[in-house]
Amino acid sequence: MLGDILTPDLFASALRMATPLALAAIGGTLCERSGVVNIALEGIMLIGAFAAAAAGLATGSGWLGLLAAIAAGVAVSAIHAFSSINLKSDQVVSGTAINILALGVTGFLMELLYGHPGTTDPVPQMLRPVFHFPNGGEGVLGTVWTWINSIVFSHTPIVYLAIAVAVIAQWAMYRTRWGLRLRALGEHPRAADTVGINVSRGRWIAVMMSGALGGMAGANLVLEQVGSFTENMTNGRGFIALAANIFGRWTPVGSYLASLLFGFADALQIKLQLFRAEIDIPPQFFLMLPYVLTVVVLAGVIGRAVSPAAVGVPYEKG
Amino acid sequence: MSVLELREITKVFPGVVANDHVSLSLEEGEIIALLGENGAGKTTLMNVVYGLLSCDGGELLVDGRPVKIKSPRHAIDLGIGMVHQHFMLVQPLTVTENIVLGHEPARFGVIDFATARKKVLEISARYGLKVDPDSRIMDLSVGMQQRVEILKALYQGARILILDEPTAVLTPQEVRELFAVVRSLVNEGLSVVFITHKLEEVMAVADRILVMRDGRLVGETRPSDTDTVGLARMMVGRDVVLRVEKAPRACGDTVLEVDGLHVKDDRGLEAVRGVALSVRGGEIVAIAGVDGNGQREIVESIVGLRKPTSGTIRLKGEDITHASARSSIEAGVSHIPEDRHRRGLILEFTIAENLMLGDHRLAPYSTRGLMRPTAVTAMAKRRIVDYDVRTPSERVLASALSGGNQQKVVVAREIGRDPELLVAAQPTRGLDVGAIEFVHRQILKERDSGKAVLLVSLELEEISALADRILVIYEGRIVKEFAAGEADDETLGFYMTGGGGSKLAPETGATGARGEGER
Amino acid sequence: MSETHEALPEQRRWMGVVQQIGAPVISVIIAIGIGSVIMWVSGYDAGAAFAALFKGSFGSPKAFGDTLLRATPLIFTGLAVAYGFSAGLFNIGAEGQLFMGGLAAAYLGVQLAAQPWYAAVPVLLLGAMAAGAAWAFVPAVLKARIGAHEVITTMMFTYIGKYLVSWLVVGPLKAPGQIPQTVTIGTSAQLPRIQTLFSEATLEALPFLRFGRAHMGIVVAILFAVIMWAILKYTTLGYEARAVGFNPTAAETGGISVSSTIIKALCISGALAGLSGAVEVMGVHYKIFDQFSSGFGFTGIAVALVAKKNPLGVIPAALLFGALSAGSGLMQLEADVPQKIISIIQAVVIFLIAAESVIQWFIKRRQKEALSHAG
Repeated sequence: MLGDILTPDLFASALRMATPLALAAIGGTLCERSGVVNIALEGIMLIGAFAAAAAGLATGSGWLGLLAAIAAGVAVSAIHAFSSINLKSDQVVSGTAINILALGVTGFLMELLYGHPGTTDPVPQMLRPVFHFPNGGEGVLGTVWTWINSIVFSHTPIVYLAIAVAVIAQWAMYRTRWGLRLRALGEHPRAADTVGINVSRGRWIAVMMSGALGGMAGANLVLEQVGSFTENMTNGRGFIALAANIFGRWTPVGSYLASLLFGFADALQIKLQLFRAEIDIPPQFFLMLPYVLTVVVLAGVIGRAVSPAAVGVPYEKG
Repeated sequence: MSVLELREITKVFPGVVANDHVSLSLEEGEIIALLGENGAGKTTLMNVVYGLLSCDGGELLVDGRPVKIKSPRHAIDLGIGMVHQHFMLVQPLTVTENIVLGHEPARFGVIDFATARKKVLEISARYGLKVDPDSRIMDLSVGMQQRVEILKALYQGARILILDEPTAVLTPQEVRELFAVVRSLVNEGLSVVFITHKLEEVMAVADRILVMRDGRLVGETRPSDTDTVGLARMMVGRDVVLRVEKAPRACGDTVLEVDGLHVKDDRGLEAVRGVALSVRGGEIVAIAGVDGNGQREIVESIVGLRKPTSGTIRLKGEDITHASARSSIEAGVSHIPEDRHRRGLILEFTIAENLMLGDHRLAPYSTRGLMRPTAVTAMAKRRIVDYDVRTPSERVLASALSGGNQQKVVVAREIGRDPELLVAAQPTRGLDVGAIEFVHRQILKERDSGKAVLLVSLELEEISALADRILVIYEGRIVKEFAAGEADDETLGFYMTGGGGSKLAPETGATGARGEGER
Repeated sequence: MSETHEALPEQRRWMGVVQQIGAPVISVIIAIGIGSVIMWVSGYDAGAAFAALFKGSFGSPKAFGDTLLRATPLIFTGLAVAYGFSAGLFNIGAEGQLFMGGLAAAYLGVQLAAQPWYAAVPVLLLGAMAAGAAWAFVPAVLKARIGAHEVITTMMFTYIGKYLVSWLVVGPLKAPGQIPQTVTIGTSAQLPRIQTLFSEATLEALPFLRFGRAHMGIVVAILFAVIMWAILKYTTLGYEARAVGFNPTAAETGGISVSSTIIKALCISGALAGLSGAVEVMGVHYKIFDQFSSGFGFTGIAVALVAKKNPLGVIPAALLFGALSAGSGLMQLEADVPQKIISIIQAVVIFLIAAESVIQWFIKRRQKEALSHAG
């Protein structure tokens, strides 16, 4: 039975499941590195998902759906940026407001645009896998190719995009002017201010980047996984992403790898549900798995992970 | 021509005039000292010059040209650099990263770290300020961090350097080194503004002294035309008793006895390495040392905030080594913490609520978990009078009090509890002269009534004013003991920096020898 | 200097009143205004919508009864979140503790069906408190011991709790029949409707007492609001919680154990949220099923913020959100406006109140600056 579970598509599925978490987690990384907590990722992702579905349904183009999701994510994150940076609100409270707002706005627009709550029609043009290679045949070589093909070459565009984002963000954070300044902002914003770095602007940019990535995560859910929008479909992924960011020690590649762990748990629980007949465990327990894993990971890692020193603290000039 | 000129600068905060028509000028190659008490407006004035604050009136001239400095960036572009009292260094970043931050050599946004490192080494060699460009700031000593701050300003091309209370955290030896560095900078054509409240320092380093009080410039003089007494009068506005009267000590039984104490710091490194000390009733024992040599960890383990790894702590013979903060308070240990905003007070609480903190579980303030507001109010009213806390009511929030009055609340609580042992950690940090006098008198009163006092201070002046015995701490060990009046500041400083047989000799920078000669 | 000092208490009393009551009220009014604009832009008749909203919440004794019905669980979740806030904790997962409290009440209500009400009701309430506290315990310990952020952990426990309930109602606790739900609890364990306490003759004479579905849970809720207020103000438990909430380092220095205070506070918060689930089971549904809470745990955050974490303020704040929720049904029916607009209004209220706390902070700082100069 183990052979039936540990198949190439389990790992491929782990990569797919990890993608929205990873995008949001990297968003969280950039945002927290600049000194702003982003509890709002859940809501940003949800609104991104809705925008992807709505634009996809309206235009028939998956790519326009993705663009709309990014735009919506940026727009929502701007609210968080304004309230956290300019109004100096409590960042966790502001994020919570956005999460509630996202539930309200998406539900409201569902009824306004489609006349019913619940789930939208299927988006006609989903984003398709980039490559189309046949699987290998018999024999060792064939098997190896089948594994490689499903794990590496079976994916949709945003899955690859997420990997690229992780690598580029990591490089940029440690090699570029922007990255050095970002790291300074979250640790000691006043030090950054005294050498002429604009703290508000730096934080605004980071928050909006996290909005773009959160929107992209939502687009992935709708356009590459589910195929339609359902109310509250993010189901806590924004919070799991934050845990992944912590587990990844506030680095983009770390966030991606941590998301892979959660993605694998998700893929595994889906796979195991197929074997319900053989393993007599109710499906709800499988569904709990990612959430339990999140708590376990946080319990195991936190003491040793050090967050940016100034995260969550509004910057006061002068 | 003046490199920097301030004309009638005025800065108003809601309800406070921080700078009231202040005018001054700085000539090329000159060191001026801006002298004044905490809260006199010195730092505010320089923050205006550095573009961190905008002024509400007046004019600024750099090289004779009027300028409106809108941001630190602008100030830097004009050749103004500032070393802040609280260092503006990003702890997890390296020395190089901190120095180039904001002015990174880069191509298409990608930092050229090789060039950055080379430039840092160049400047460091040119001014004789040695640093390791690849160390992380958090691994450096305070003196080293200050050096990085100066290098940062020089890297940014500063011609005018503002130093805000630069000696507050340094040992006497490091101070002399700093003065030497400042002089060599001036020889290179820089001009320096030196902000301080320490009288000896201005006498030693300044070409010209400007005294500020209550936001106004109240006097200008030269070291050759005045002495510390005159300066003190100008600074405070009245005659100052620089030393509190002290009765001869009458020692009682041993109250605190610490033996073989080992304690780890927050990072898990051994910060206290086998300390033994004892304090008897009726004496003040002071621990002198450079910040970060284990003083905090000793204090925290005595008051029950930190678990020692080994050793014993006894209070009147009773073992309190593993006592919690609560049982340590109940055993008779009081604690004036070094940081009143972080540890001493709950700013959002009223004065009354703050005054019962630590005793709140005890009668008469509460019985079986229920508070007794009348008893609390009565106690608060009494202590407000006894300790001269300036407030209209005990229901005022602690955050609404001035720094001096806040510290009086802490002192009232800790001494008012009538402890066996008072542990006072930097009890006068950031206070003005009046409040310092008050706190010193309270501590002496405690000693004179036969109680034991353990004082930790970075200010040698405070230590020599209060202590009956002085223990010098270096790298977690007591390296020397002196009776009151037995050692001068230089000697103390020598032992504080590891002199006298310990493994490290006082660090001598490239300019150290010159500093020695000029004293 | 003395003038500054003497002027202060007067000023502070005035500002205190404005801050405590004025700011939340203004925030709510602005939020409703923004809600109207959204309705107007979306092509709805905002006037008709608010008329229906008012009719559905205060328009008749029965409508007011509905408001009370919705306000009851919100008082508990509001108290839960507010108590957490007081200790510096953000219990975003009250929803999960609510589910566990409801589950405990539903289970005990069946087990104790034969007991008289005075035995059954207190046991159910205590059981729900214990269950809610238990659900907050692990996040509390993780927070106290290693600093794991309670926002993430309590949220995760909410999902875990919901899946647990959804399994139990199709599995071990499922009542016979097609519908996934538990067996109805005994009548003695149920909280009676308010109007059943009066005789038919009294109701004839005083028709405004016909509160429809509103039940005695509201009385329990108000009682708990008063208790929580007293705990915060008059007990060492509350004093220590507030001390830790404001400044854990100073609290620790004052001999308060920060970790045990955090554990106690989050468990008390969980117990209050558990009660919220209990009153829903005991007063409304008499059983538990998958979707038995319509997000009361999350609305509790808005309630606590509007109440400015004051337990007595939770009562009017919960009535407000209860009214919005009660009226939204009729609003959808009569003005065709999606009920979700209520969530939007809620979110806007939270934004405004969060931003307003800055204004308060600013005023405080001004006072401090004024004084520090004077002193």
